Amino acid sequence: MGHAHPHTNGQDGSHALLHRLEQVLPAQAPIQDFVHHNTLHGFQHLHFRAALAAAEAATGNQGYETPEAFRAYFRQGRIDLSDLNAALDETPELAPDAPAVGHITRRQVFLAGLRFDLEPLPAAALRWRMTEGGALRRCHDDVPAATRLVLLTRQGGEEAMLTALWQACAAATRVAPAIESPPVHESEEAALLWDRHRVKHEAQARLDGLLARFGKDLSLRGLLMRLAGEDLMHALRPYLVRHLAAHLDLGLAAWRNPARARGFYAAWLDSARRDPYFGYCELTGWDTLLERLPEDAETCIPQELDRLGLPQTRRAAYLETLAKELPGWSGMFLWRHGHPGYGGETTPVHMSDYLAVRLVLERLYAQQIAATHFKTEVSLFALRGYLQRHPAELLVRLHLFAEDIDPPLPEWLQAQGHRLVWEACGRAGEEDDADWLAVARLILDSHPSPRVDTGREVAEDGPHQAVDPPHVQPFPHPRRRGEAWSLFLLCQHLGLHAGALAELGEQAPRALLACLAELTPERMGWVWLQAYERHYRQEILGALAANAGRGAWKTRDEPPVAQLMFCIDDREEGLRRYLEEGTPGVETLGAAAHFNVPHAWRGLDAEQAVALSPVVPSVVVPAHEVRELPLEGADGVGMYDRHVRRRRLRLDWKARLIQGTRLGWMTPAFMSLAAAPVTLGVLLGKAFMPATLGRLVERLRLGFDIPVVTRIGLSAPNDSPEAKPEARRLGFTDLEQADRVQALLRNTGLTHGFSPLVAIVGHGSHSLNNPHASAYSCGACAGRNSGPNARLVAAMANRPEVRALLRQRGIDIPETTWFIGAEHDTCDDIVTWYDEVMVPEALRPALGRLQQDMQAACLLHARERCRRFVSAPLELSPEAAWKHVTGRANDYSQARPELGHATNACAFFGRRAFSRGAFFDRRAFLVSYDPSQDPEGELLERHLVINGAVGAGISLEYYFSSANNERYGCGTKVMHNIVGLSGVMQGAASDLRTGLPRQMIEVHEAMRLLVVVEHRLDVLTAIYQRQPAVRELVDNEWVQLVAIDPDSGVLHRFLVGTGWVEWRPEGPAPATVPTSTDWVRGRREPLPPVLIEQGARAT
Amino acid sequence: MMPYALVALAPLLHLLAALLVVLLHLAGRARGEAGEPLTARLTLGACVLACGVLLILDGLALVQGAPGQVRVAEWFASGTLRVSLSFTLDGLSLGLGTLVAAIGLVTLRFSAQYMHREAGFHRFFIGMNLFVAGMLGIILAGNAVLAFVGWELVGLSSWMLIGYAFEQETATVNAQRAFLTNRVGDAGFLLGIALAQLWLGSLEWADIAVGAGHLPTLYISLLSLGFVSAALAKSAQVPFSPWIARALEGPTPSSAIFYGAVMVHVGVYLLIRLEPVLSAAPGVMSLLAMIGLGTALYGGIVGYAQTDVKSALLFATLTQVGLMFLACGLGLFQLAAWHMALHMVWRTWQFLAAPSYMHLLDAATPPAPAWLRRSPRLYTAALQRFWLEPLADHLLTRPTQALARDVRAVDDNVVHHIMGMSEARRAAALLGEEAVVKGRGLAGAALMWLARHLDHFEQHLVLRGIGGRLGAGLRRLGGWLTWAEGLFEQPRYLLLIVMATLVVIL
Repeated sequence: MGHAHPHTNGQDGSHALLHRLEQVLPAQAPIQDFVHHNTLHGFQHLHFRAALAAAEAATGNQGYETPEAFRAYFRQGRIDLSDLNAALDETPELAPDAPAVGHITRRQVFLAGLRFDLEPLPAAALRWRMTEGGALRRCHDDVPAATRLVLLTRQGGEEAMLTALWQACAAATRVAPAIESPPVHESEEAALLWDRHRVKHEAQARLDGLLARFGKDLSLRGLLMRLAGEDLMHALRPYLVRHLAAHLDLGLAAWRNPARARGFYAAWLDSARRDPYFGYCELTGWDTLLERLPEDAETCIPQELDRLGLPQTRRAAYLETLAKELPGWSGMFLWRHGHPGYGGETTPVHMSDYLAVRLVLERLYAQQIAATHFKTEVSLFALRGYLQRHPAELLVRLHLFAEDIDPPLPEWLQAQGHRLVWEACGRAGEEDDADWLAVARLILDSHPSPRVDTGREVAEDGPHQAVDPPHVQPFPHPRRRGEAWSLFLLCQHLGLHAGALAELGEQAPRALLACLAELTPERMGWVWLQAYERHYRQEILGALAANAGRGAWKTRDEPPVAQLMFCIDDREEGLRRYLEEGTPGVETLGAAAHFNVPHAWRGLDAEQAVALSPVVPSVVVPAHEVRELPLEGADGVGMYDRHVRRRRLRLDWKARLIQGTRLGWMTPAFMSLAAAPVTLGVLLGKAFMPATLGRLVERLRLGFDIPVVTRIGLSAPNDSPEAKPEARRLGFTDLEQADRVQALLRNTGLTHGFSPLVAIVGHGSHSLNNPHASAYSCGACAGRNSGPNARLVAAMANRPEVRALLRQRGIDIPETTWFIGAEHDTCDDIVTWYDEVMVPEALRPALGRLQQDMQAACLLHARERCRRFVSAPLELSPEAAWKHVTGRANDYSQARPELGHATNACAFFGRRAFSRGAFFDRRAFLVSYDPSQDPEGELLERHLVINGAVGAGISLEYYFSSANNERYGCGTKVMHNIVGLSGVMQGAASDLRTGLPRQMIEVHEAMRLLVVVEHRLDVLTAIYQRQPAVRELVDNEWVQLVAIDPDSGVLHRFLVGTGWVEWRPEGPAPATVPTSTDWVRGRREPLPPVLIEQGARAT
Repeated sequence: MMPYALVALAPLLHLLAALLVVLLHLAGRARGEAGEPLTARLTLGACVLACGVLLILDGLALVQGAPGQVRVAEWFASGTLRVSLSFTLDGLSLGLGTLVAAIGLVTLRFSAQYMHREAGFHRFFIGMNLFVAGMLGIILAGNAVLAFVGWELVGLSSWMLIGYAFEQETATVNAQRAFLTNRVGDAGFLLGIALAQLWLGSLEWADIAVGAGHLPTLYISLLSLGFVSAALAKSAQVPFSPWIARALEGPTPSSAIFYGAVMVHVGVYLLIRLEPVLSAAPGVMSLLAMIGLGTALYGGIVGYAQTDVKSALLFATLTQVGLMFLACGLGLFQLAAWHMALHMVWRTWQFLAAPSYMHLLDAATPPAPAWLRRSPRLYTAALQRFWLEPLADHLLTRPTQALARDVRAVDDNVVHHIMGMSEARRAAALLGEEAVVKGRGLAGAALMWLARHLDHFEQHLVLRGIGGRLGAGLRRLGGWLTWAEGLFEQPRYLLLIVMATLVVIL
């Protein structure tokens, strides 16, 4: 089959199509390699706002949180009025200070529309509000007391005022009929003729509209849903998902399609031709259809598109529409198409195969619907012909099934329509349109279309029956039913009673509504988001400004007690803070936890090496492999052999238990029976004391396996051949080691003032029963634990050969300094130290103290984390809190073992000194960088390109999964079901769900990352000008950029189009508290930054 | 005797917990996130107490010997029909009852964490309580009627739990499908009850066991066939199997545990309970053996082709349950009982740990046996699960739908005309131009008055607070209900025919 690509307009067209699909489909890797990335990566070349709009146009997914959610933040004080006003000011297109009408400014209208729900009501709800809801007796509940007082200054009481206002609003929003009312006909025949004409006219217009969309954003499925009310996806999806999941399976199924090596299309066709399934489903003509299908996908696609009758120009769009109907699976198929050989899988995956199968299946199922409903075959030509012959039927069907016709038909008319559809399906052949006409006439009468508006039902809406005012100006926006209600509420919020409204002039109501209508959902989301972001930006920048000059180790005049380098991860902010508070003499640093030593790591027991290297902003394929080896010692090797044997034995039995109990007949019977008695104990243990059981199992496992002391084999002979990704080499040469250590130290500014102990702390996260586990681990290491990197770089930095090379390059690491690697588990706050046996005797006491300090910080950090877990009591001792977090890690019923990066909000690039001493609620990525050692900003440039992209990717993934969890996220975990080791489905045959589950984003506040960089403005401007990757993120406002001056600490905010604007604190300075613990105790909610007395200074 | 009456508490405590959660929910206490601890504590309290009661009785039985049949009170009597609240407490029911109560405890404890912040948290716990109550009812019941009550509770609660995410159409469709398939079995159960009463004059399990020995084989076969069909449907044996694969729509703890690990075994339990009856019906026994073997083959072969964890585990379970049916058919009831109990425990753990299944795999999945892998035709069959579902649709559902269409046509064309309710007049009535019903006399007027007020109430209740979203939600809900009603309509006729046929045969 060779290279298969979908043919649309030849080869170029197919490339364009693939490119477009990469843009609109989720690009999530199989779930074991989950890496955070911008969900809208395909639109990143656009401005944030335009990208959201483009994505919504392409996929229908909203990219902002709902106004209700924002209003809730407003009530909680997460957004205030000044934020909203500032956000309006920053949205010039809204011209908030221009008058809307008279003395009312547009700002007033917008604020009312933002803060309160002024949406028009459906007729029935409106009627209820008027009669039962008391809308005319008292002002709406949302109206503030002060405004209500303004309204009530007039004589006559609240009810009279409201009634008058309602009458004015109802009268003002009536629309003049577009055409005359139906003439009074002399005879029944004449009336019928007139109606026939109307129906035909109306139906033709709608048909044209519908067919114009066909092939653009409407597939055959969409068309038939609107015409027949049947969604062929219901039957197609489970069938297709079985085949798809089997083809893409990465190791769950024991048995897969024997023909899969020929590609998906061929394998499917091979199976389908042997499969009587469609016959049992009573799909007509399935066997000949399958028989006549070409043998390869490239021939099939154009053939199918021809059959549909699609013009050339719409073919690519049609295929795109099809792919988007199952975005998760399509995205996974495309990902695998782009990563051939992934996971050692040899099965070919070509997007054209997938699209061909989708096309054929769609036709197959559509054929049946079309035959049942329209007695016709499936093609644009045949369907159009039928619908043109049956205008009344078309009209009725569209009103029944097309959701975009608003408002829906009254129930009794729906019943009539459904009966007709039902009868039509039972008929043998095509009949004329006569039955339908009666119902179509009723629909036209009861339900005037926007173009044929009799203006009748507006009068019904209100209690007031007024005559139409003459010569009403055409309303500038599409008329929405019940907008009298919007106006009514708006007037109340503006403090306008009927008199005041009248004083504003005859055009005032329309002007007000027109102004309100300018606040489209998109603008509403944008303004709210800006206000939300401003609120936290003010707080964070306020804290940074107040913290200026407080933090220790801006310069290293004498060595700190110890230095600890953590990952830039926002989750480490808390641990670092507690460490600094408890042991003020330490200095903490942050570096992306690949620690500049990307390599393929093969742990002691691993069968193959895995890449521990970054994949953002681009995939780094390691050229070096590092192995963990048993430490040579008196009996080390003998122990190792026994370890290998016993571990192998344990894993064999484990596999027999886990896999053996699901495959086959007698093995599962014996295995499950034998395991059951122990299992009962395990179940009870897991239910009532997960942490104890977890520890016990771990001890048993280690005891059985026999622990082995290990070392790492990191060095290669200096004359080794060059290491390449395709020819990986074991170990690094001295020169390579020196290069890597040097880069790490230069990047973080740790080039002098070395402490006796320098700890490099990677991180990971372990939890049970968590399909998304890799989303909690180290993003800098492709979702794996970064402890090995810490261990490796520490070992390199300890080698005398490396230190000698470094000394030549101006980095003098004293002989008394020792580097030690460690790993911090962000789930249970346990730190594992590596290679302790190698630490020189003289430093052992210092190491002991450091470990104690770290342990104390972990306990306090656990307590701070517990405040966000409802299951943890608010008042916990640090020890109890730590027990709680270790319990969570070992609890298989815990859907939230930890909260991951939830709450990440800002990224600080610079010396820790500018943020040390302030509390950031675990919201900040902390990237160490010393501007004083990088006057030209060369290091900073790399930092921004690489770590900026990592931070932006994480923050944007959280943003989109939070803003629209149903569509950009993967919904609730509780129904997830792992499929093919590629992802999760909801239930047993759903689309593949991508993004983050709801449990991960519940406490997240969806905002764009606030990037604060420590350097001079001119240096930053130069980087911005020469670095397109930075410019893309900043110019398109995927992140917000702020500069902090290295010397003065003055803050400047970068405004696109304006440039740097100095930021000055407004309002009160942040509070100061003695310790973090004092600030977090007893609080569950997100906390604003404060200054902390302890830990800012080194003494 | 008296302490054994306490056994009634085990299911009752769960029922009580369900009732309390419902009441507290209505009262606004057990609602939302704040109400979660209350609901969880009530439920777990019921679990612990039920386990405790059963453990005490187990202890007593160990010391004194199992009491066998325990009659607590008379439930109702009419003519010769007497139904009592009685329990069969032998080694099997006490042991299995305790096990199920313990699994309930473990699962609900799991759910209290796992379901945190779910919109349906309270609904889920109500369903689970009903479920455990039903399971304990079936296992401990001393007579067929009480067991049937449990049977129905289980059916109802599983419908609630499969349809947990009722905002998704797949979930509701699948819940409906599972529910309806099980109704076929229920009809069998009812038939069994009726025949037992007719021929044996008693519904106590003990009496049925004794009395069956004196009946002619044909009678015994018919009687046991009723119960057996119930067991086959509930345990998803071939050809009823497809429903259980649809039960995976619910949350992990419920869908997995109960359909995957506990409820699916209940058919085996019923067979073991009926051992004396079945032993006297060799024809039924061989049928059971054949169906069991068929299901085991079906589950095993289909299981090899599964690509998602929950389905893979489900078919593995089905295979084992098939083997249990086979054992029963071969008369190895004791073996089946042990197999059932132990298997239940293992699958509970395996299903609860399903979300991490991929992290439990250290090595590649072993391939299917070579004889299977050679046949592409067999692969297609396995992937399509041997077409059981489309075949059932093809042979039963669609003819029934056609029947329904015919009946409706008769309704429209004949009945409505006779009633004077033509389409046009109905429409007119709906438009309010003509009264559909006119009440005459005092009773009529009273009825009209009541109807008016009910209508007012409905308008008031339904329309209150219709904002944009709620309104849309209600409309959608209305759509689903109409659709659900449509589904309900169809198999009614099917059941009708089945019943009519049976009546004719008898």
